[in-house]
Amino acid sequence: MIRITGLSHRILDIPDLALDARHIAVIGPNGSGKTTLLSVCSGIEEPDEGTVRLLGRPPSAVKVGWVGEFPDRTLLFSRAYDEIASTPRFRHRPCRETDERVRAAAERVGIPHLLERTVTALSGGEKALVALAAACVDDPDVLVLDEADSHLDAGTAERLRAVVEASTAAHVLWCTQSMDTAAGADYLLFMEGGAVRHHGTPEEVFARLEETCFYPTLWRVRQ
Amino acid sequence: MRVEVEDLRFSRGPFTLRGSGTFNAGVHLVSGPVGSGKSTLALLLAGLLRPGGGAIRRDGVSSALLLLQFPEHHVTSPTVAEEVRSWGLAPDDVLARANLSARANDDPFHLSRGELKRLTLACTFMRNPDLLMLDEPFSSLDCTAKRKVCRMIEERDAGITIIFSHERAVLPRVDALWEIEAGTLTPLGHVPDAIPRWRHAPPYLRYALDRGARPENIRLTDAREALCRTRG
Repeated sequence: MIRITGLSHRILDIPDLALDARHIAVIGPNGSGKTTLLSVCSGIEEPDEGTVRLLGRPPSAVKVGWVGEFPDRTLLFSRAYDEIASTPRFRHRPCRETDERVRAAAERVGIPHLLERTVTALSGGEKALVALAAACVDDPDVLVLDEADSHLDAGTAERLRAVVEASTAAHVLWCTQSMDTAAGADYLLFMEGGAVRHHGTPEEVFARLEETCFYPTLWRVRQ
Repeated sequence: MRVEVEDLRFSRGPFTLRGSGTFNAGVHLVSGPVGSGKSTLALLLAGLLRPGGGAIRRDGVSSALLLLQFPEHHVTSPTVAEEVRSWGLAPDDVLARANLSARANDDPFHLSRGELKRLTLACTFMRNPDLLMLDEPFSSLDCTAKRKVCRMIEERDAGITIIFSHERAVLPRVDALWEIEAGTLTPLGHVPDAIPRWRHAPPYLRYALDRGARPENIRLTDAREALCRTRG
């Protein structure tokens, strides 16, 4: 359960929201507060007012895996292996376990061939996959993806979806500009001007957005 | 006006990019998976990388501009207005066009990613070069902003526009399709004939093609119109 109460932070104004679903997609225009909401839910930012509880605990007490849109801004180490190993190392996992986790995560994400590569020499999409492996390596309770699919082709985006689907995280908070991707979520939040304007199943939310471009293209052609 | 790519070869580590083809005036869409060489080809066409073999020849192209995938890589100035001036443009026009007039004195890095992308896109289109290369111009943008970019691309009435993208929902009207896979650039030819050959077609277009529809172009509206014609 993700529980937000009396939240007021920068542009955000969310009086009360309880989310039970596992895969939650967050959609809405640029500047509507999606990234801010994800930051507050991940414990990256403390809200000015109000509280956020993940699984009954404050976000800082929960293992959160974060994949941002611009991996350049979050990648800390020069070698892909070291970037993926950073979380288990920071958590003082034994070397052997760290190595096993890094190789397993790279395998899941489909990038074993990139482990020894220098991160700066990777393509934008490859960097996103390294960031995904780094976020998943230590089995997070909550996985947060901030438009991580923005630089991915269809095949890689599908791999991202499969990795997210198979993760053991209790919740996946996924902000995306692809309405076709959002249509596959269990629950949808449509944000506008810092508020959650619509929330519900994809069918319920997209029914309210049919007149806008925030509507799955596949639903459009199937009509 | 055209750009000819002849037996291009470029290697970096284990990766090699190769291909041939001609980019004539009009809008070209180059699609391909992550790491297939799209951005490398963009840098080569822009003259920022030198080919290891073969040649890239420009004919009648007097100006060229590459919009980088990550808009922050363009930033060189401490304020939004100065950033626009660094492109040799007047801030008022550009900021009005990018809907950022109120942010003129802000640090470009304080803009949201979508806002920064809008800023660099507006600067690029205002410069209106003969050869315009757009590396992932739609990433970071919401569907409303993507539609605006499509309009800007479609309204360019001259020159060569090359879009490197794997956008799958909001696309402009294009003249020719190209694919890159594992470092090999392949021209698919002109639209609409090239559309059925396009392996990276977005899901809505694939859906229409699978039902025997023959879209005139690659936009969602083209797919819907083609489906209407087949459904009668």
